[in-house]
Amino acid sequence: MRVRRSITAAVAVALAGVVALSGCSQKNPDAAAGGGGGAKRVSVAFVPKLQGIPYFEAMNTGGQRAAQELGIDWIYRGSTTADPGAQTEIVNSLIQQRVNVLVVAPNDPDSMAPVLQEARDAGIHVMTSDTDAPGSVREAFVNQATADGVGTALTDALLGAMGGSGKYAIVSCGQTAANLNSWIEVQRKVTAEKYPNAEIVDVVYAGEDEAQSVAMAKDLMNAHPDLTGLVGECTASAPGVAKAVTEAGKVGQVFTVGLGTPQSMKQYLDNGSSSAAILWDVEQLGYLTAWAGKQLAAGTPLQPTNNVSSALPAVKWTDSDKQLLLGNPLRITKDNVDQYKY
Amino acid sequence: MTATTGQVDQAPPVTRRRPRVRAIEGQEVALIGVTGLLWLVLSLATDTFLTSGNLQNILFTVAPIALIGIGMTAVIVTAGIDVSVGSQAAVVMVVIALLVRDAGFAFLPALAVAVVSGLVLGALNGLLVAYGGIHPIIVTFGTLNIYRFVALQIFGSEQVAGVPGAFAPIGGGAEGRVFGVPVAWWLTLVLAAGMWCYMRFWATGRHLYAVGGDAFAARLAGVRVRRRQISAYVLTGACVGLAACVLIGSGGLVQQNVGAGLELRVIAAVVIGGTSIIGGRGTVLGTLLGALLVGTVTSAVTLLSWPTELTQLFIGGFILVAVGVDLLRERRRSAR
Repeated sequence: MRVRRSITAAVAVALAGVVALSGCSQKNPDAAAGGGGGAKRVSVAFVPKLQGIPYFEAMNTGGQRAAQELGIDWIYRGSTTADPGAQTEIVNSLIQQRVNVLVVAPNDPDSMAPVLQEARDAGIHVMTSDTDAPGSVREAFVNQATADGVGTALTDALLGAMGGSGKYAIVSCGQTAANLNSWIEVQRKVTAEKYPNAEIVDVVYAGEDEAQSVAMAKDLMNAHPDLTGLVGECTASAPGVAKAVTEAGKVGQVFTVGLGTPQSMKQYLDNGSSSAAILWDVEQLGYLTAWAGKQLAAGTPLQPTNNVSSALPAVKWTDSDKQLLLGNPLRITKDNVDQYKY
Repeated sequence: MTATTGQVDQAPPVTRRRPRVRAIEGQEVALIGVTGLLWLVLSLATDTFLTSGNLQNILFTVAPIALIGIGMTAVIVTAGIDVSVGSQAAVVMVVIALLVRDAGFAFLPALAVAVVSGLVLGALNGLLVAYGGIHPIIVTFGTLNIYRFVALQIFGSEQVAGVPGAFAPIGGGAEGRVFGVPVAWWLTLVLAAGMWCYMRFWATGRHLYAVGGDAFAARLAGVRVRRRQISAYVLTGACVGLAACVLIGSGGLVQQNVGAGLELRVIAAVVIGGTSIIGGRGTVLGTLLGALLVGTVTSAVTLLSWPTELTQLFIGGFILVAVGVDLLRERRRSAR
């Protein structure tokens, strides 16, 4: 009896292991293509924060297109959880594969820095994209937008809808998310300087949780009956605040904008609960990342203004902080939302 | 039960007297007191708390937690635990979101699919716990990861955006309310009342407590221990199915991380509600009150414009107090 029970247990554990392992290995079909082969093509490997979310999949699409047009190999490999440890493992395995250029969107910039140093020591060019690892040995950071750009675009879009005045609140996500916090700083500054009759009454943090941001947005509307604006600061809370306004029946009274992906915002842009979504062209960000990787591998110095492609004719490079800037943020409204398939 | 009495005739005979249980237990009275006081203070201190919009939002937000809490109470009473409910919810939500959006499923068929898929996931947990001989926290920790993997496979590499409002009748909008109260909350109340009666008056309901108190003794007394364990996990799965429909509500976006951390919120409500984490004691009424207290505090922190992180401080404090009180009672009981 006891023996049978432990056999059952062992089988269960083994099965669980098999399922888990097959999950890991199945996800990296590109890895084999990049690792083997004696081709002389430059290989650029990109490690996203996590695989499987539309944002990074769109970056991958752009990177693949660039690889085709520029004649390089593009490797896209990420973990299915936003876990710094899992990301470090993937980066280590790519170092073993001796890719030419390694690009990371670090989950934890601090713990990524020594790993990037290892890659550099192994003769691999290192870059960051989407999220920087300040103080690391990275040779370039592909920046999707500046904090000034995003913060100003969000504020202008919202106050445009609110008529330039009124009370509004922000539903942010992770309390420690550095980029979100830097945007909120700019929103506070722009609101104070440019819109003296507008006021940010509260900033709350809902985690990366859509349901939680709906609940908190409703709390905010209840707490401030004269509230006329809401900002969803990340891709979870942007549709969240719009859903809250829809459910509360306050479309046209409370205006929202947010940092949302086009397809997730479409129904709210259409029903009027969201006035605009602010984002950048994520596919172009992937394209630019692959392009920059090729320049690094070839040793081509970047110019202050670079003609990358017809869609990216003037990309700015600042040598002092080694940043390549994609450009101005994109404003997505109900009129252009259908152009973006992610 | 009669079939086994022959083997255990030296054990004291099953008492005919109805077990002397009070209609309402100490911790529940304390919870009603604390929550009532909180509501009173908030109503007096703000003019925004006692508004229909705010109360509707609290009840609606609490409903999915309380719904899963109904099943979780039974699981924890049997000295088990189910930490996989968040991943179960993710599987159910992605399945029904896709069915509603791409296959045009209406409310009732989608609800049926949700409950049945929840049942299946719960049954798998129950079978592994009852027959695997592995501790429930390990089993469900394993299935937490496996179910999340399954959910991610179904998601493919896309979140499900633009889900239509098939579940609006139990969602957070105006069409999801009857007599001004969210339908999700009515549903929670009815199920909780049914479960409360079952765990108090039905023989098999009482057996859940026996299993959690001492599984070996319960088996000797003729309780079908495995069957009771499996039933608790199956019930939890079904509750997760219902909660998933409430969480989708009026539609919108279902993200890959959906349900992450849900298990901790449910277990917090159960523990704050006075259910002993070592099993054998606890009620659904307590869980309902625990969930309500957590929901009130979460909402009040935003309402008062306090920093969001204070919510965690309060919930943490409630858990420690609740477990501390439970341990003190346990110590007093065993000292007797």
